[in-house]
Amino acid sequence: MSPLTNILPGFNRTSAACGDACAAENAQTVRPAYKVNETTDAYTVTVQLPGVAKDGLEITAEDGQVRLVGRRAWKTPEGWTSLYRETADAAYELVLTHDDAIDAEKIGAELRDGVLNVTLPKSEVTKPRKIAVS
Amino acid sequence: MRFIRYALPAARNFAPALGGFSRSAWSGLETEIDRLFETAVGGATAATRFPVDLYEDKANTFVRAELPGVKRADINVDLVDGVLNITAARKTPPAAEGQAEQTVTLSRSVRIADEVQADNVAATYENGVLTVTLPKRQEAKPKKFTVEVK
Repeated sequence: MSPLTNILPGFNRTSAACGDACAAENAQTVRPAYKVNETTDAYTVTVQLPGVAKDGLEITAEDGQVRLVGRRAWKTPEGWTSLYRETADAAYELVLTHDDAIDAEKIGAELRDGVLNVTLPKSEVTKPRKIAVS
Repeated sequence: MRFIRYALPAARNFAPALGGFSRSAWSGLETEIDRLFETAVGGATAATRFPVDLYEDKANTFVRAELPGVKRADINVDLVDGVLNITAARKTPPAAEGQAEQTVTLSRSVRIADEVQADNVAATYENGVLTVTLPKRQEAKPKKFTVEVK
């Protein structure tokens, strides 16, 4: 991550491109911190989504893209005045583009303590194959 | 990405505050900006910092900290002399077999107004967000007196 986006969260923002309904709700989204790891048969993406519950999370896979939108479950209760803020109320949005070598049917996701683990299994076609010589 | 800081000419560092042209009018600002960059992006500081929000209502002060991926048992909250210290250890399981578990220690200190009942502080952790509730002392709460007009 660029240091600039660390200092100014605003630089991190991308506009939500999920239709009018979404845009009306909140146009600004924040890109969460994430990490991609590769193993022999899958890619694993670890995304930090503090404040997001299972219900507020949407993962869609289409056309070589995996889109992830996380809405925060917590809203400032009535009577609370904010004195100092470092976090944003905006939803998280992360779009990862891949080369279609992923088996979209078998994508798995697990959310625990604000950390999401997504497993993107590589499709059988692209896996290295051993050819028996006859 | 690494930040490479400019090495200032030594003469500027020793120049008297109001003397001559050697000292740039911006030098004070430059040091200030350098200092800010150091605290914001400098090495370990940035990696072990986490965002904190402060709220209050009539009876309590609240501190909310974003600490994703930390177990409840690994979070330590203490209040010493009006400073709330939050320390947490994030344990990442080994990426591959044979590698050791990675532990990152995160810590943050927040100065809290003095009027807190230190023995009644409570904390909850949900969805990767820690909420610390610090009840205000009785005398700190605004009291309302209604005076009857005769």
